[in-house]
Amino acid sequence: MEPTLTKSALLPDAAASISLKNTPMIKLLDIEKVYQTDTIETVALNRVNLTINKGEFVSVMGPSGCGKSTLLSLMGLLDEPTGGTIEIDGRSVTSYSDRELARLRNHKIGFIFQSFHLINDLSVLDNVELPLLYRAGLSGKERRQRAHAALDKVGLSARTRHFPSQLSGGQRQRVAIARALAGAPEIILADEPTGNLDSVMGDEIMDLLLGLNRVEGTTIVMVTHDENMAHKTERLIRFFDGSQVS
Amino acid sequence: MIRHLFTLIWNRKRSNFLLMSEILLSFFVLFAVSVLLVSNYYNYQQPLGFEYENVWELSVNPGQDTLNRTEKVSQIMRRLQSTPGVVAVTSTSSNTPFSFSTMNTTQYTYKGKGGPLTERYDADDDMVKVLRPKVVAGRWFDRRDAAATRPPVVVNQKFVEKLFGQESPVGKVLVTSDGKEEWQIVGVVETFRSGSDFASNDPAIFDRRILQDSAVLGAYEMPVLLVRVQPGSGAVLEQQVVKDIKDISKGWIAKVNTLQENRHDKLKIMLTPLIALGVVALFLIINVALGLFGVLWYNINQRKAEIGLRRAMGATGSGISAQFLGEMLVVTTLGVLGGVLLAAQFPLLGAFGVETPVYIMAIVLAALLIYTLTAICAFQPSRIAAGIQPAVSLREE
Repeated sequence: MEPTLTKSALLPDAAASISLKNTPMIKLLDIEKVYQTDTIETVALNRVNLTINKGEFVSVMGPSGCGKSTLLSLMGLLDEPTGGTIEIDGRSVTSYSDRELARLRNHKIGFIFQSFHLINDLSVLDNVELPLLYRAGLSGKERRQRAHAALDKVGLSARTRHFPSQLSGGQRQRVAIARALAGAPEIILADEPTGNLDSVMGDEIMDLLLGLNRVEGTTIVMVTHDENMAHKTERLIRFFDGSQVS
Repeated sequence: MIRHLFTLIWNRKRSNFLLMSEILLSFFVLFAVSVLLVSNYYNYQQPLGFEYENVWELSVNPGQDTLNRTEKVSQIMRRLQSTPGVVAVTSTSSNTPFSFSTMNTTQYTYKGKGGPLTERYDADDDMVKVLRPKVVAGRWFDRRDAAATRPPVVVNQKFVEKLFGQESPVGKVLVTSDGKEEWQIVGVVETFRSGSDFASNDPAIFDRRILQDSAVLGAYEMPVLLVRVQPGSGAVLEQQVVKDIKDISKGWIAKVNTLQENRHDKLKIMLTPLIALGVVALFLIINVALGLFGVLWYNINQRKAEIGLRRAMGATGSGISAQFLGEMLVVTTLGVLGGVLLAAQFPLLGAFGVETPVYIMAIVLAALLIYTLTAICAFQPSRIAAGIQPAVSLREE
């Protein structure tokens, strides 16, 4: 087993943590998302008001189709709401252009997906480098260094030349986490990051995310179906039928 | 990003190899079509080497009349020369400019070196006044040649290039391979492309043949008369000429065409297969385009999840579009490079006797066409890729 973030590295910086916790990082105001076809109108999110503070680790739970993934897509600026306002780090992104949204995603947000979403034709290192390719002003050498550092954090520095197909599910998810970390984002949005893994691997990934939150102060929003995982986070939000119920 | 593109293309070498092969084959099809089109256009742009305006072609057919043919033709020529409005008259073989008749031979050798396939024309001293070929070395035939020990000939520069290279040909003696006949070169003309506007600049030789009253003209030896007339000469002069011929020859059939009309007729006949070829080429190009379009469309559809991921990582819509176009550009370049390497063998080997500039232009044209085709074919799928909502495409996997 490769080394993961060490215990000593996971110690929280209490003072910094307290000062951050009261500042909103993601704010959803009256968010609505309606999917419309010629015949059917599906309300995925219904007037959702939600604030995620800096440095918080929040889990989102709810039955399938309740709007959890839609919520995450909207928070990650991957989709546009039908109504309402999204604020990231105190700024409304409603009027942002495609370029501005892409820049914000690249600098502030890291994504982790249930199915990893690694590019199979790229090596582990190239996959981790991916967000840095879209960041202006970084040299190739800097990108490599950052990617190596991110892989080191998740204990995969010995697998840089491997391809995703040569890795286990847990290792692939760790590559995905390294990719999310490489850009040093302030927010990580994880959509069922342990959904495709067995319990041991799932715990390993969860420990990694908890460590990130505590050590780096990264704001994490995690969608999960697993009550045990959800209870490890600071706050649990439940969704039902497109609305927040707790 | 360029390194990233190359890495992606290299790691997907198997699927890209198929695409590169299609591009290479398409390049070759376009190269072949381009060679034909460019060589015809190139020939069309070259000087004909003579002036056809205000030149009439007089064909006389004696029919069953076998009496004094030569004398009658000589009389006709003398009458024409004295007709007001006529500048000069020459008698030549049936392979007049823009005719469908050719007379070629490989009989001329020089110091044991075989000559090229050469178009041979009968010419007299006045042809230079009628067709006005540009003499670049030596001289055209004149009276001095009547006393020459060897029959004089005038050749074109292409003939010189093929048989003598850089050596000056004037004064040199050509012989048949069996050594029985000899000719002496007295002059060199620049070019003489008499077949059509699309004819290539082939070696040509003019053999001095003066109509002698004493000679007997066989059924297939009747000369064709070319007459240079004053600019603006029209139907009145034509009627006069035909009347004069009939007065002298009694019962011979005389036909007058202008070389301009002949050129126009030949051009139409030459253009027909070229237009047909153009249509076939167009269908080929459409086929190639549809093939490429299908492959690229499929390729992008297969990579929707990757597009979503890249958008999530910070790529803009236009960045995605540029990436796909860039990938296509690199793959096309690799395919075209292979094609150019193969196509370059044609001029290097001097294949099909096509001029090197034609091959070079055809390679450039084929490459430009392929780049344009792939850019057009990649543009729409790339645009669609750019418009894909990342949240939607991330759910595609």
